[in-house]
Amino acid sequence: MRRGLISWSRDEVPPSVLEGRVARLQEQMRNADLGAMLIYTSFARPSAVAWLTHFVPYWNEALLVVFPIGAPVLLAAFSKRVHDWIRSVSHVGEVRSAPDLGRAAAAFLKERPPQPSRVGVLELDALPWSVAEPLVKSEYGRGLVDATGLFAAIRQPADEVEIRLARRAATIAVQAFKTIPREAKRASELLSVLERSARLDGAEEVLPRLAPDLRANATLRRLEGDALLGERYAVELSVAYKATWVRVARCLSNGPAPQSWRRAAAWFSQAAGCLNETTLALGLAPASGPPPGKLDAWTLEACLGSPPLSVAACDEAPARPALPAGSLTTLSLRLGLEDGPWLGSGTLIVGAGGQPARQLL
Amino acid sequence: MAEEGIDVLVVAGNPWRSDYLRFAADITPVEGHAFAFIGREAPARIIVESPAEAARLRSEQAELDVRWSLSAIEETETAIRELGKRRIAIAPLAAVPYRLAMGPLVASIGSATALLDRLMLRKSPSEIAAFRRAAVLADEGYTVFREAARVGRPEYALVAEVEAFFRSRGCPENFQILGSGGREVRGMHPPTERRLAPGDLVTTELTPCVDGYYAQICRTLVLGEPSEAQQRAYAVYDEALTAGIAAVRPGATAGDVARAQNEIFRRHGLGDYVTSEYTRVRGHGLGLYVDGRPALLEDVDLNLEPDMTLIVHPNTYHPEVGYFVHGDSVRVISDGCEVLTRTPRRLFSVPLA
Repeated sequence: MRRGLISWSRDEVPPSVLEGRVARLQEQMRNADLGAMLIYTSFARPSAVAWLTHFVPYWNEALLVVFPIGAPVLLAAFSKRVHDWIRSVSHVGEVRSAPDLGRAAAAFLKERPPQPSRVGVLELDALPWSVAEPLVKSEYGRGLVDATGLFAAIRQPADEVEIRLARRAATIAVQAFKTIPREAKRASELLSVLERSARLDGAEEVLPRLAPDLRANATLRRLEGDALLGERYAVELSVAYKATWVRVARCLSNGPAPQSWRRAAAWFSQAAGCLNETTLALGLAPASGPPPGKLDAWTLEACLGSPPLSVAACDEAPARPALPAGSLTTLSLRLGLEDGPWLGSGTLIVGAGGQPARQLL
Repeated sequence: MAEEGIDVLVVAGNPWRSDYLRFAADITPVEGHAFAFIGREAPARIIVESPAEAARLRSEQAELDVRWSLSAIEETETAIRELGKRRIAIAPLAAVPYRLAMGPLVASIGSATALLDRLMLRKSPSEIAAFRRAAVLADEGYTVFREAARVGRPEYALVAEVEAFFRSRGCPENFQILGSGGREVRGMHPPTERRLAPGDLVTTELTPCVDGYYAQICRTLVLGEPSEAQQRAYAVYDEALTAGIAAVRPGATAGDVARAQNEIFRRHGLGDYVTSEYTRVRGHGLGLYVDGRPALLEDVDLNLEPDMTLIVHPNTYHPEVGYFVHGDSVRVISDGCEVLTRTPRRLFSVPLA
């Protein structure tokens, strides 16, 4: 559940920016003959609705209904008492109470019939059946169409507002890493200081994953309970600030950082810098020269729909449709160095053809 | 599954509804969709949406067969098709995605969800043990919250302190909302930038998770000396909580527990404030989900049974002092209930200086 700071600063995210995003979606909808678009949100899949309205559900679920003209309407399965809070943190035309979300959506479409009657649904395949069933059984059931591609076409590149939020999120993560005590012996010690620092800096959420003993196992884990830290360990912080997510990973050592890590970090920067809209389809390594050691795994993620970050390309799968220049992405990789594994993650903006990518920090 | 004639149960989940997956396969998705194929004997087969999640789950449980796919739903659909003529069911209703529900398994969703719901309602001894540990942590977390609640601090700083404490105790998850202020406060929400002020009522619902199981505590504190109105209000909520807890016993319904609490409010002329205009539920089930069955509402006739775990909380708006919360986690036992959260029931006062 989300339990960090959720607030809306009109200076950070001006209403006009949100309205501009909605207008771009509405233009696409008109071109695709959609009379309405439904966008589901829960704290697990908050990003599309947050990008359009700044609303992030701390729990529960909601559906955003966008018509070809006018402000979006939020059908929220929260009690009415929370509506004032919802209005204070988001930019929507209307908030309606919808304890039974699917039924409420079907009733709402009946009340305000979409013209034309085709209704786009972001990630239709993934819509929870509890929400989808009443819609499928309604008179609009046959008119439901998947609008994932339509939304993805306008989602990237990132605008300057989103890039500023991402930079703030990355700064929160980097600051949190600085609070790790050098003498930390247990995972709980460092997770505690990371959590405190990130949340005091205004993180909306922080998801830490940890490889407590890098030499034994480089897999980043979600810890329940505690673990002893090895001489070398790695931490990845996924941090949300105002609904914008970044990942930052660091390898840490109880002693002096090995020289090999400096070479690895330098290669990471070089590889990240080489990512542009043309080289993306070729993968990571070819554009950036041989890595120090073996490139064991890499993943490039971006926000394309409702999940905060989705895999856009990785070593194990072909790249999804190309990301345009200016896309906000997170690169994560694992190198097998002579003296053990090294992990790194950072946020970058994909360069235009032939131009270097820009790292946020 | 054998009794229901199910050969393979496909359980869907995501970070929002991870409870059924945790129960069936002992996995907790952090990001993306996850699907578990539960056979009657073989270890579960898992399909997730990212390589990082797949690697993590393999690392947590080596015996699991974990795959990942950019199209995890499509991959799951294919895997279901490959099961051929075996009797397959899919659950739960809240997480099965449209694409899988539009296939031949749609008829199984209701009964398979009900099967899991029944199994998850009464807790085993090991589940009770985890719940008990979570309740201890809830008490300790509330002490940290009380110490963090000082005039001038923003609401989100209080949550930061509590989260830091929970992490220091190996607790990875917590559901927490809060409120601060006076009569204008109508409920709780995630923390805002509002800074605490003298005389504020500060409410919180704090719900740490241990081995997947959530326990909850609700308390209200005052910054400074409580006013007479705040003390009068507290007395009503305490009486209602006591009445609610006294009503928890095998054979009673969830509605009985809600009614016992609501009657106190009615007796004090506050009957309007137990309606949906001002409050949601008078408590609810706890376990692998933070807001589980049964909802404690007067019209819910589910019978309580031993080893169900609940929070009883008469949380609602009070017209004189604002939103007020007060609640404890309980386990149903043979002759009543055992209260597992131990924080004293009183209106805490935090000194201003």
